[in-house]
Amino acid sequence: MPGGGIIRDELKNQGPQRGSLCWEKKYRQLLALIKAQRVLLIFAIFLALLPIWADPLAGPIHLNIILTMRLVGIFTIAAVGLNLLIGYAGQVSLGHSAFFGVGAYASAILAVKAHFPVWLAIMAAVIASAFIGLLVAPVLRLKGHYLAMATLGLGFIAFVFMREMTWLTGGNVGIANIPELSLPGLRITNDRGEFYMVWVIALIVLALCGNLVRSRTGRAIRALHQSDVAAGAMGVNVSWEKIKVFMLSAALGGLAGGLFAHLQGYIDPNLFTITLSIQLVAMVVVGGMDSVWGAVAGAGLLTFLPKIVEALPKWIGPGVPKWIANYSNYEGIVFGLILVLTMIFMPSGITRGLSDLGRYRRSPFVNPYRKKVVE
Amino acid sequence: MEDIGNSNGILLKAVGLTKTFGGLAAVKDVSFDMRQGLIKAIIGPNGAGKTTLYDLLTGIYMPDKGSVIFQDREIIGLPTHKIAALGIARTFQTIRLFSSMTVIENIMVGLHHRTRTGMLQSSLRLPSARREEAWMGREALRYLDIVGLEMQAENLAGSLPFGQQRLLEVARALATDPRVLLLDEPASGLNTYETRELGDIIYAVRDLGVTVILVEHDMGLVMRISDEVLVLDYGEIIAEGPPETVRNNPKVIEAYLGSPLH
Repeated sequence: MPGGGIIRDELKNQGPQRGSLCWEKKYRQLLALIKAQRVLLIFAIFLALLPIWADPLAGPIHLNIILTMRLVGIFTIAAVGLNLLIGYAGQVSLGHSAFFGVGAYASAILAVKAHFPVWLAIMAAVIASAFIGLLVAPVLRLKGHYLAMATLGLGFIAFVFMREMTWLTGGNVGIANIPELSLPGLRITNDRGEFYMVWVIALIVLALCGNLVRSRTGRAIRALHQSDVAAGAMGVNVSWEKIKVFMLSAALGGLAGGLFAHLQGYIDPNLFTITLSIQLVAMVVVGGMDSVWGAVAGAGLLTFLPKIVEALPKWIGPGVPKWIANYSNYEGIVFGLILVLTMIFMPSGITRGLSDLGRYRRSPFVNPYRKKVVE
Repeated sequence: MEDIGNSNGILLKAVGLTKTFGGLAAVKDVSFDMRQGLIKAIIGPNGAGKTTLYDLLTGIYMPDKGSVIFQDREIIGLPTHKIAALGIARTFQTIRLFSSMTVIENIMVGLHHRTRTGMLQSSLRLPSARREEAWMGREALRYLDIVGLEMQAENLAGSLPFGQQRLLEVARALATDPRVLLLDEPASGLNTYETRELGDIIYAVRDLGVTVILVEHDMGLVMRISDEVLVLDYGEIIAEGPPETVRNNPKVIEAYLGSPLH
């Protein structure tokens, strides 16, 4: 289409392009990349150095940080995927345990029964989950609560399959002796090695998803979240974009599940119930919707806090009354408490909430970004 | 643009469009031609079926009967996004911006079907994806410039004043590179100054080679800028023609003011 107008950023983008040397351009590109991914880089450095101080600390505080961080990494992967679906595309899934479970089982079965190499099994698990995502994609025609209910059912169905298809999944007995994660050639099978492997994958996923949400596809899914009618009228194929993001979300759930199976070495159906789905949704909501880093914060908080609470009586020592020290279900209490407190004080999630606090120092009850009901 | 005003080429042709909602005919046997390069206004009292007509043209509703030929092609039955890609863009009576996205991102959604970068390319930020992204940024600024919102590019669409939100909707629709632009009450809620500005923008849009259909209640604007006026009442066309003729049509006066007491 013809049309006039000042192209304002022309000046900004085209510097002394012809005249400058090639390496100079490359250097500037590298600087721009570092600047764009600085949060990721800082976080990567933090993780790389984590074992140095976390290992000696594990004994005194009765909490193995490295072991827990492995789980955080896995849940981060699943939560990032779910956040794309819930936070960005606005399609609530309460059945993500299905994809997590499918990934775990596919990878475990392939590795144990078909003797696939571990990483190949995980890749196959990712594809299997994405495929299941495609199969159940028709539920995406439903909206809002109806979609939530349908996906809830999906989680139950997957659970029943895992439990009842005994010939394949081993039923309630589960699958044991799943080979550990390792790198070909290198024998890194200790906790620290696994911690690094999981987090390298998690960081890659974070970087890719961070790019994705700022791209053409990311804008399309955010647009259909706010008004699918307007997005359609602007030429976005709403149902196809929903299917794509659902498949991606399922695939990331499968990746997390596959890693989980090899990390744990043992899986049974009871690990992949509605509780897991709710936990994943809670990570997304607590961490912050439409923020990739919210997944890390949510997964970290919801994985660590219960463990810390569990370890708390040991910190205090023998003074703790026995009934407190022996009560084992703190996890549920802490989980619920976090959810309630976040919803009251930071309804848009802790990443958004904290940055808002820093920026505005407003009362936590006033949330400038609180979503208004559109339509 | 060379053939504006003197072309007899029919761009859009609606024949016998009918849509009923539970016995109530929202649009009844509506037929009209839309010639290229003109500004056509559709007016009528509230509930006359104007917005429903738009929804039929853009594929949001399926008509019970009738057809719409756009550039020699039947578009009834095509999904909304295909119709948008063919070149029919619209704005909404109740503003439907992507309010938690920035102004420029809203425009870039309009550029969606004109770009091709896939999920994999954009998540890896391959050079092709970066090039297209840069092109989208430049192109989007061009459209913001047309409606004079380029200074607001990085603000959230929802934070704009009402009048600017209306303009942003126009710019977003323009970004889909339409042949026909359907404006749904673009002047409602605008003050006199903003309405005059809107008139200028509609002229500018026409000069870009876009045919404009305008649903509007502001008669001053309609009479000033439109080449043809179509009047709907209870879903039926009661008058069609140049603004002066339509204004003096007794049926139109009756529809707007009610029948004289006998």
